[in-house]
This record gives sequence, C-alpha cells and structure tokens, in this order.
Amino acid sequence: MAVTGVKRKRVSKKTKQSWRKYTKINDIEDFLDEQRDEERLGAPLEVLSNEELFVVDSTPQTSLLSSKEKRKLRATRPLKCFAALQPHTKVPDPIKKRNRVKTSEERKSSFVKPNENLKLKKMTALAERRLDEIKREQKQTRGEYTKDIWNSNNVHPIQKDPWANTTTKIHNLRNTGISIKNVTNDLKLKKSILPAIDIPHPGMSYNPSFKDHQELLQIVAKEEMKTIKEEKHLQRVTRDMFRKITQDKKEDEWLIEMSQELDNKISTETSDTEDLDKISINPPAKNKKKTLKQRRKQKEQLELEKQRKLVKLEKKKVGDIQRLKGIKMNIEKVENKQQKLRELRKIKAEKKKKEPKVLSAMKIDDPGLDFQLGENISGNLRGLQKEGNLLSDRFISMQKRNILQASRRAHKKKAKVKKYTKSGHKENWEATVARKNKLIQK
Amino acid sequence: MVAKRKKKYTVGEGAQFMTRKAALKKLQLSLNDFRRLCILKGIYPREPRNRKRAQKGHTGIKTLYYVKDIQFLLHEPIIWKLRDYKIFNRKVGRAKALKDFENLRRYLNNHPTLKLDNIVKERYPTFVDALRDLDDCLTLCFLFSTFPSLPHIPRDQSALCRRLTMEFLHAVIEAKALRKVFISIKGYYYQAEIKGEMVTWIVPHHFSFEPQQKSEVDFKIMSTFVEFYIVMLGFINFRLYHGLNLYYPPKFSSVSISETEKSLVDEEIFVSERVCALNFPLSKTSEVAEEEEIEIDNFNSEENPEKIEEAKREAEKIKKLKTLFKGLKFYLNREVPREPLVFIIRCFGGEVSWDKTLFVGATFDENDESITHHIVDRPSMPKQYISRYYIQPQWVFDCVNARDLLPVSKYFMGEVLPPHLSPFIDKERDQQYIPPEERALYDPSILEQQYNKDAEMEEEGKEDDSEDDNGEEEDEDVEEDKQDSTMEEVEAEVIEDNTNKKKPKLSVTTGEVYKEVPWKKDQQDRQAFKLREKLVKNKHKKLYKSMMEGRKERAKEIWLLRKKRRLHDEKQAEEKKTKKKQK
Repeated sequence: MAVTGVKRKRVSKKTKQSWRKYTKINDIEDFLDEQRDEERLGAPLEVLSNEELFVVDSTPQTSLLSSKEKRKLRATRPLKCFAALQPHTKVPDPIKKRNRVKTSEERKSSFVKPNENLKLKKMTALAERRLDEIKREQKQTRGEYTKDIWNSNNVHPIQKDPWANTTTKIHNLRNTGISIKNVTNDLKLKKSILPAIDIPHPGMSYNPSFKDHQELLQIVAKEEMKTIKEEKHLQRVTRDMFRKITQDKKEDEWLIEMSQELDNKISTETSDTEDLDKISINPPAKNKKKTLKQRRKQKEQLELEKQRKLVKLEKKKVGDIQRLKGIKMNIEKVENKQQKLRELRKIKAEKKKKEPKVLSAMKIDDPGLDFQLGENISGNLRGLQKEGNLLSDRFISMQKRNILQASRRAHKKKAKVKKYTKSGHKENWEATVARKNKLIQK
Repeated sequence: MVAKRKKKYTVGEGAQFMTRKAALKKLQLSLNDFRRLCILKGIYPREPRNRKRAQKGHTGIKTLYYVKDIQFLLHEPIIWKLRDYKIFNRKVGRAKALKDFENLRRYLNNHPTLKLDNIVKERYPTFVDALRDLDDCLTLCFLFSTFPSLPHIPRDQSALCRRLTMEFLHAVIEAKALRKVFISIKGYYYQAEIKGEMVTWIVPHHFSFEPQQKSEVDFKIMSTFVEFYIVMLGFINFRLYHGLNLYYPPKFSSVSISETEKSLVDEEIFVSERVCALNFPLSKTSEVAEEEEIEIDNFNSEENPEKIEEAKREAEKIKKLKTLFKGLKFYLNREVPREPLVFIIRCFGGEVSWDKTLFVGATFDENDESITHHIVDRPSMPKQYISRYYIQPQWVFDCVNARDLLPVSKYFMGEVLPPHLSPFIDKERDQQYIPPEERALYDPSILEQQYNKDAEMEEEGKEDDSEDDNGEEEDEDVEEDKQDSTMEEVEAEVIEDNTNKKKPKLSVTTGEVYKEVPWKKDQQDRQAFKLREKLVKNKHKKLYKSMMEGRKERAKEIWLLRKKRRLHDEKQAEEKKTKKKQK
C-alpha cells in the first residue's frame, strides 16, 4: 500500500473492486451508524433538552406499597425467562405488514372443529361415567356388612419385618390403606373399673320379695335423707343467716346507717383542726447513727452468742448418746405414723377409683336408684308400670365411667320473632295494593 | 453468658394437657364436630393430678385432654370428612334458600359418608375386645330401635338398630348362649355368654315412646354413640354368624315366599319380618358343628381340686340349661309380651307359637293338642284345654334362673305369683344368713327337703291325734305329684351308682391292715393350711387377717341366727302339738 505514493486525480471506478476501493462512503456510513445508534439508544444527549434529560425524583424513599402488594405487582409482570423473546432494540420492524402464521389448531376448518370437540366430550363423559359407576359400586351403603374385619389379613409384609426401620415402613405403607400411626395402649384401656351395666338391685324386680323391696327402699330413703340434710344445712348457712325486709325498709335503714357518723363529724371537725401536729402519740423516728465503739461491742456480743450456742450443741450431743433409746423410739413413732398414713392413702386411692373423675366444672346429676313404691307394684307382667328412663340412665352411667363429661345443656330460648310480609310483596296484590289504590281514587 | 431462662409449663404436667378450646383450635373443628370425632375415636377428657399446673396456672375447672390424644386425632382421615360435611351443609343450605332443586338433589345424592370400619378395628383389635364392650352397644341399640324418627337422628337409624339387634338375638338363640334373665321395673336384663365373655344388656319394656327433655339428655351425643355402635354391632353379627355356620344376612330355608305374597310384599320386608318373628331356624352354610363341647382338663387338679370340681358342676348345669325347654311346646296368649318370651323359649330349645293375627311367624294354632304350656297373663280363660298347663309368664323367667323346670303349681293362671328374684346376686351372699324360705326360692330342692320335713312333723302330729286339714293336704298332693317324677329319677341314679361300686374284685391277697387314724388326716391338713397361711406376704398379712376374721364373724352370726330359728321352729311345733291336743 505504501507504493501508492502519488494521489491520482481521477480514478476509474469501473469495476466493483475499484468502486469499492476509491469511493469514499465513510461519511455516509458514519451517518448511518449514527442514525442506527440513535434508533437503538435514543437521541444523543446534546440534542435533548433539559426537561427531557432530567426528571424530578418523585418516588418516595420508603416504598408505599406493602410487601404483599409488591409481590402482587411483581406477579403481574412477565416472567424473566421470557426476556430473551422480547425485542431488545427500539428499532421498528422493517417489514410493516408481516403476515401472522396461524397455528395448526387455528388452521382447521370450521366444519371439523365442532365435531372434534363433541367427540372429545363424549369420550371424557364415557370415561367419567365408568369411573362413577365403579365408585358407586365400591361405596358401602349403611347397614351392609360384607367382611370380617377381625379376620381380614390386611397386613403388609413390611410391618412384620424386624430389619426395616420406621421411615422405610412409613414409606412402604403410604397409600396402602393401612394406618401408619399405631394406637397407644393407654387408649385401649377402659377408663373406669365400673361395669357398663350395674347389677340391678333385687328390689328392682317387677315382683320383688318383701325383704328385697324394703332393702331398696331403705337405701333410697337414706340417700334422700342425706340430700335433705345437706339442703337444710345450706339453707341454714346461707338463706337463714339473713333476714327478709322490704325494699323501702332497706333504703331507710341504709340512710340511717350512713348518716350516723355525720353528726359526730360536724361536732368534732373543729377540734380536729386544732391539733393537726398531734397525729401520732409516738415521737417521730430519728436516724441515729451508732458509734464505732457500739458497733464493735455488738459484734463481740454476736460472736459470744455463737460460741455459747456451739458449746451448748456439743453438750447436747454428749447428752444424746445417753438418750439414744428415746431417739430410737421417736423415730419409730414417726415411721409408724407415716406407715399408717400410707395405708390410709392407699385405701383412699382405692376408693377414688370407683368414683367418677372430675372432668368438667359441672357435677353429675345422679338421680339414684330406680324404685317403685309398694302400691305401684302390680305383681304381674300385665299390670307392670315402667320406672326410670333407660336413655338418661345410659347417659349418667357414661358420665360415671368417665366417658362423657358432666354437662348441662345450655339451651337458650330464642326470642319469638313475629314474621310478616310487606303488603307490597304479597302475592294477591289485587286484594291489597289495588284495593288501596281504589280507596285512594275514591 | 447467663443460661436461657426456662419458660413455665414447657415440661411436665403443664405440657401434657390441653384444654378443649385449645384442642378445637388445633384441629380446626367446631365443638360439635370435635365431640363427634372424640366419641367415634374413643377419646375422652382426662383428670390431671395437679389441676392448676395442668391448666397452666389458670384456676377453675376446665375440660382437659392429653396433648398426645389430640395429636393422635390430628392424623385421622375422618377429620377431612367432617370438613366435607361442613361444606356440604353450606351448599345444601344455599341451594335450598335459592330453591335450586336440581343442584340440591345432586348434592343430596352424593353426600359425604363416614367410613367407620377401620376405627372399629383400631379401637377393638380383637373380636374379644369388641365383645367386652358390647354391653353399652346392645343396650343403646335396643333402646334406639324403639324410637320413632326424631330430629338429630338419621332417618334409617332406628330401623337399622332394630334389624341388627334382632339378628344378634338370632345369633344368641343359635349359640344357646343365654344364661340369666331378669324382669326389672326398668326393663328386661339379659346375660349371655359369648366366647367366654359375659355380655349383659337391658331391653326396654314394650311401651309407647315417651319424649325426652332436652335438659336431661343430650340426644345428639347419644345418637353419635349409636352411630358408632351400629357399625360395631354389624361386624360382630357378621363374625358371630360365620362362627355358627350361618349365612350373614340371615336366610331361612323353611320359609319361602309364595306367589301371592310375592306380589303383595317386598321381599326385603318379608325377610326382615321373619327375622323379627324370631321363630324360624336360620339356614346353615354347613351342617358340621364348629364348636364342640369342651371337656374340662384335669391338669392341675392337685392345686385346687375344689375349684375344678365347682367348674365341672357349673359346666354340667349349663349343659342342662341349654336344653331346658326341649320337647315343650308353648303357646303365647295375646296379652303376653311376645318378643322376650319367644327369645327365651327358643334359646333353650322350646317350640313356641302365638295367635296368627298378632304377628307373622306363628307356627301352630291354639287348638293344637300337643301344646304343653299355655302362657297367660289374665285371671281366667273361658275355654281351657285339659292337656296343657295354663301358666303365667314369670314361670319361664324363673325356670331359666333356677336352671331347672320349676313346679308349675305356683304359677297357674290367676295365682298370686311368688317373688321374681334377681339372678344377679353378689358372691358375698353365701356369707349371709338366708332364711330357709328365701333359700327355697333359689333352690327348689331345698323346698322339697323342707316340705318333707314338714310332712314328717305333720305325720307326727297326726299320730298324736287324727285330725287333719283337707285344704292343706290337697295342695300338698299337687306338689307331690309334680315332684314324684323327678324324685324317681334321682333314686334310679342312686341305685345305678351303687351297682357300679359293687364290682367283684379280681384277686384277693392278704395284706396288712392299714390303720388309718381318722383325725390324723384332718390334723395334717390343718397343719398344711397353717403353713400356707404363713407364706402370705407381709404386705397382705393384715388384709388376710381381717378377711379371715370377718369371715369367722359372719359365720358365727349365721350360726347364731340358724340356732335361733331352730329353737323358734321347735317351740312353734310344740305349741302346735299342745294346741291340737287341747282341741
């Protein structure tokens, strides 16, 4: 290239090669480059006005949006993975009218389309119907028992495998219908030692012997007497402690009682003001400091006291050796007492087993044994009179056996609301609305 | 660094318990659903040792559950069904309000159902476990079978209860498992022995339904119990039937639906009516008896021969009881409660029938000459047959409890009945004084003895002077006739025993005479007993001592009362004699 020393004035640009070599298109290329850049990146900064270049930052420093709202906003934006599909230049599409290519689905003719849909629908419906039928067949109706649940060998081999660990077992048993959780022994135990059905007292027979019947009545009467006594006691301690007076009398008494101190106060008010400084008889306390000597003396006294006590204790030890027999006796006494207490506690615990546990704040409302008075006993089946209610009997028995907690049904009485329809809403409008109009017209 | 401060109630009792409210929150269920779930799963509230600590410092009494129990409930798939119910109810309510009947029907047709089989299996891992808890189940099912359709109770529940209980009764009949019966003012008590388990249940008297007060019983809760028990009873029935070689939905070979009836009656109803009649034997899958009578082994007879002897005697009695009414034909009059009597009579092998128009299932008419007992509960009958006894229903119940056929004389029509005694008496009763009259009520043989004794006395009296009361003798004659047959049998047996004993010896050898000192053995026994007494643990010594003392005291009391009675009787007899002499 260095060979070309002389610049020729005219150069032939006949061939493509020479054209390319000798024409100067730098300025055009630069211009085009510039234009492309402009298209791509926007106008150069020099061209832009101040308003276009600078914007007042109006976004608040702390975002107004809550994290939840931000998350929502972010969710509306297109996914990042689709960013590559987005155009990355601002250059418009050079082909203004680009043909949109239809998908194969869209290209199908309108005759085929509905037919195909129908077919699909039919197919799915058929499959669904079959599934439904199977489901219905498998569904057990109430009161249909077709298997022996205690003999069914629904046992997975992994359950008996001694080498498999729990995670393996759980993994294998999942979705087999065998429960993974096993029941604790505590749940299998009965909650009370009481029998489900109490042995009936022989006096509860429909035709009891005289002795049995009397025995039963004795038991019932004793219970009743107990409750009456309790009630009486409660009344004596609560209601009977107070007297009954009318409201007016009560108010009068209140007024008298409250105004009793008033006269005295008025009379003594003047004297009170005189000796305000003599509030207490005792003189005011003074913060008197002890001298060093006093402190030393106190310390010495304490020390002496301690020594005296120690000497006394030593002396007592020597004395105790002589008293060994007595001490032994004492220990024995205490142990005996504790033994007795232990036994008592055992008996108490044994007794408590038979009593219902406290499961709720309510108490069990036990009506006691069922009984019939002598005049109601007919002595034959035909004239038998029923006594007691089996349902409530079961209910209370369950409460006693700790199966149910004692509860009182809280049934609130609903206020009775009178219902009526608005006159305009009534169906026979002619009788109501039209009649009114007629009346108005008249 | 200071160690991290421990929070209160994170360990120990405070962490073990949970209030009901907390449980509801944890399970995200409503109170009603929670209650239902707890009943179905058998989880009950607990009582803590220290309430204040268990309630995390709160005073007052709250309903507490174990945290572990609630965690156990957390795994239950039924919880999801309960939540489905909630949604279902909401949908149905909405459809109803909008009068959208098309959707309403669709919702109602596939309502969610709870499947309780695995819960039954889970709560009762073996069949025997289920039998142990059958008392409550049967009583409630029998009770609910008498209920009409009520709010809070599914519409088909009482019908289902009726079906299942009747099927159960059939199983008891086939197994001959009934042991004791008792008519109380509450209802009929039954006790059956199934697979060695004693099952007791109460059946209400047949009266019309009386509505319950809401404040007294929570109907919803009891209904939930029944919901579970129905499933349990169904599976128990299935197992029992298969154990007895019967078809489970019961089938009858003897009864077939005729053409005319076919057009009139639904077949299902036809069968269920026959089931309720309790009077037809069920058809069997095979004729082979599955459970043979088991002989009691003689293994450890050295340990306590008395007990084994007693058990053998008991087994013998039960064997006899199973065929108590065999060969007897009963006819029930209209006013007699049909169901309990048919059940009992059929349990012990008797044949029974009733008036055709009363209920389906009558097998023979009133005018059948082979009827042996006609059960009546009215003072008189216009037309009577000579060939049968007219007795009151109590006879059947008393026979079962006595485990023997009692003399009928006391139970004739119109007679004042002897008291109906409870068979459920405690064992301690043998340590009480029982007057001879009462003992006779339990054991008819004693009555016989006493009667004989009385007769002897009477004869003695007669010897002294030949006066007698005609009326008394007639009564005695009747009784004697009844007892004659049984007496003869006993005598025959005794004679047989004697002949067996007198077998000739094969050879005779002269041997040394072994002198048995009569008191030696007693002494040895006593010594052995004392030694055994010494072996009682220190722990139980006091209890044993007090027990023995009590026993002695009671025995002494009985002895004293017996003596008194004897003296009294003797005195009276003498007085009678002197009176007669004076006459």
